[in-house]
Amino acid sequence: MIRRRKIINNLALFFCFLTALWGLFWLVFILFDVIRHGITALTPSLILNDPTPPGVPGGGLKHAIIGHILITLTATLIGVPIGILGGTFLAEYGRNYRISKIISFIADIMVSIPAIIVGAFVYAILVKPVGHFSGLAGGISLAIIMIPVIVRTTEGMLSLVPWTLREAAFALGAPYYKVIFQVVYRSAGVGIFTGVILAVARVTGEAAPLLFTSFNNSYTTYNIFQPMASLTVTIFQYAMGPYEDWHKQAWGASFLITLFILFLAIVGRYLVKRRFKI
Amino acid sequence: MKIEIEIKNLNFYYAGKYHALKNINLQIYKNKVTALIGPSGCGKTTLLRCINRIHDLYPGNRYEGEIIFQGKNILSKDIDLIELRSKIGMVFQKPTPFPMSIFDNVAYGLRLKGIKNKKELQERVEKALKEAALWDEVKDKLNQSALGLSGGQQQRLCIARAIAVEPEVLLFDEPTSALDPISTGKIEDLIVQLKSKITIVIVTHNMQQAARISDFTAFMYLGEIIEFGPTEKIFTNPEKKLTEDYITGRFG
Repeated sequence: MIRRRKIINNLALFFCFLTALWGLFWLVFILFDVIRHGITALTPSLILNDPTPPGVPGGGLKHAIIGHILITLTATLIGVPIGILGGTFLAEYGRNYRISKIISFIADIMVSIPAIIVGAFVYAILVKPVGHFSGLAGGISLAIIMIPVIVRTTEGMLSLVPWTLREAAFALGAPYYKVIFQVVYRSAGVGIFTGVILAVARVTGEAAPLLFTSFNNSYTTYNIFQPMASLTVTIFQYAMGPYEDWHKQAWGASFLITLFILFLAIVGRYLVKRRFKI
Repeated sequence: MKIEIEIKNLNFYYAGKYHALKNINLQIYKNKVTALIGPSGCGKTTLLRCINRIHDLYPGNRYEGEIIFQGKNILSKDIDLIELRSKIGMVFQKPTPFPMSIFDNVAYGLRLKGIKNKKELQERVEKALKEAALWDEVKDKLNQSALGLSGGQQQRLCIARAIAVEPEVLLFDEPTSALDPISTGKIEDLIVQLKSKITIVIVTHNMQQAARISDFTAFMYLGEIIEFGPTEKIFTNPEKKLTEDYITGRFG
C-alpha cells in the first residue's frame, strides 16, 4: 500500500513539474525573443524621435510612447479611484445588501469580457457621437477594463482584514470613514496596490480597444481630445506593414512595453517594502 | 459604592432571532473590577459587547431593556455612539494593533478627539504607555511599527491606546487568552492598578484569573446571570448549586 502511494505521489510530482516546465518554457521563449529582437532596436532615436517616412533612417516612436503614457495615465486616473471606492462599497458600506452581491457577480463577468467589446462600446458612445477618435476615449475604454479588476481585488483585500481590527477602531470612537481610511486601507494597502499595478499592467498591453477609440496618429500630440498613437496599436500597424524598419521598431516597442510592465512590478514591490518598514 | 453602570432587564437577540441574553440585571460598581465567567457560549462576551454597543456594527442585532450609564439609557436610539465609545473603551481577545507606528497607535484615539497639539499628544502618549507598563520597553522605538512588538507587548499597547483617551469604563474581552503566563501576569497587575481610575469589566475563561483580580463576579449560564456577588463569596460560598459546580470544575 505504502509503496503504491509513494509511486502515485512521485507521478503527481512529475506531472506538476512537467506542466510548470511547459508553461515556463514558453514564457522564457517569448521573453527571450522579445529581448533578442528588441534590444538591438532600442536606440535613443527610437525613444526621442518622431516617425520618419519608411526608408528614411532615424525614425522613432516618440508619438506612440507619449500617447501610450497619456492614455494609460487617463485610464489610471479614472479607473483607480472608481475601482477602489467601488470595491470599498462592496466590502464595507454595502456588505449586507443584496445589490452588492449582484455587483460583485457582474464585476466578475466584466473581468473576463473581451477587450474589443469594450472598445466597440466606447466607440459607440464617445467616438461616433463626437465624430472623431480621441485619446480620452482610449483612456476610458482602458479604465472600463481596469475597474472590475480593481473592484474585485479591493473587495477581496478589504474582506481579508479581520473584523476585530475594525472593531478596535470603532471601540475608540472612530466614525466608519475614518476606520476605513486610516485603519483598514493601511492593512489592505499592499494588496490593493498590487491589484492596481496588475490592472495597469493588464491594460497597458491592450491593443484591441484602442483601435476603436484612440486609433492612431503619425504625429506627437499631447491633446487627449485628439486621435493618439499608442505603442500597442503601433506594434500592430508596424508588424503588419511591409517595411523592415517598421518590423524592427515594432520589436523595439514590444521590448519597451515589456520593460514598462517589469518596471511597474519592481516599483510596486519596492513601495510595498518601504511602506512596511515604517 | 457607586454604581457606574446599571443593566436592567436586558435581552439581546442576534440577527436570525437567536435569543442570546435573557433578562440580564446587573450592577457594575465604579472603580471595581467586575468579572463575567461561565462556560463557552453562555453569553458573557455578548453581554460585554452590549455595553459599548459594538453589536451595532452587524445588522439585525436587537436589544431590549436598559443599560443606564451617566443617567442615560445607552441603548436608546439618540445616543451618540462615537461619544459613548470614547467613554467606554474595549480591549479584545487578540491584540489589535493598527498597522502604524507605536506612537500613532496610542495617539489614534486622542487624534479622533481632535487633539492636534504635538506636545500634548506626546505627553499623553507617554503617560498612557507608562500606565500600561510599556514605556520602558518602547520609548526608544516609538516610530517603529507596532506590528513588530511581541503579543504581550501588543496587548499592553492596546490597553495604552484605550486608556489614553481616559475612558470611564474599560471592557476586557478575554485579554490574556492568547498570551503566555508572564505577559498574562503583567496584564493582570495592570488591570488591578487601573481600577483606581477606571471601572473595569472583564470576561474571562480563566477562573483563577477572575478570583485573582476581580472584586465582583457574575456567573452566567445559557444567556442568564445565575449568580452575582462579591468575588470572594462567589468563589468560597456560592448560593446556587450550578455556580458551585462550575467553580469546582464539575462542568464547563
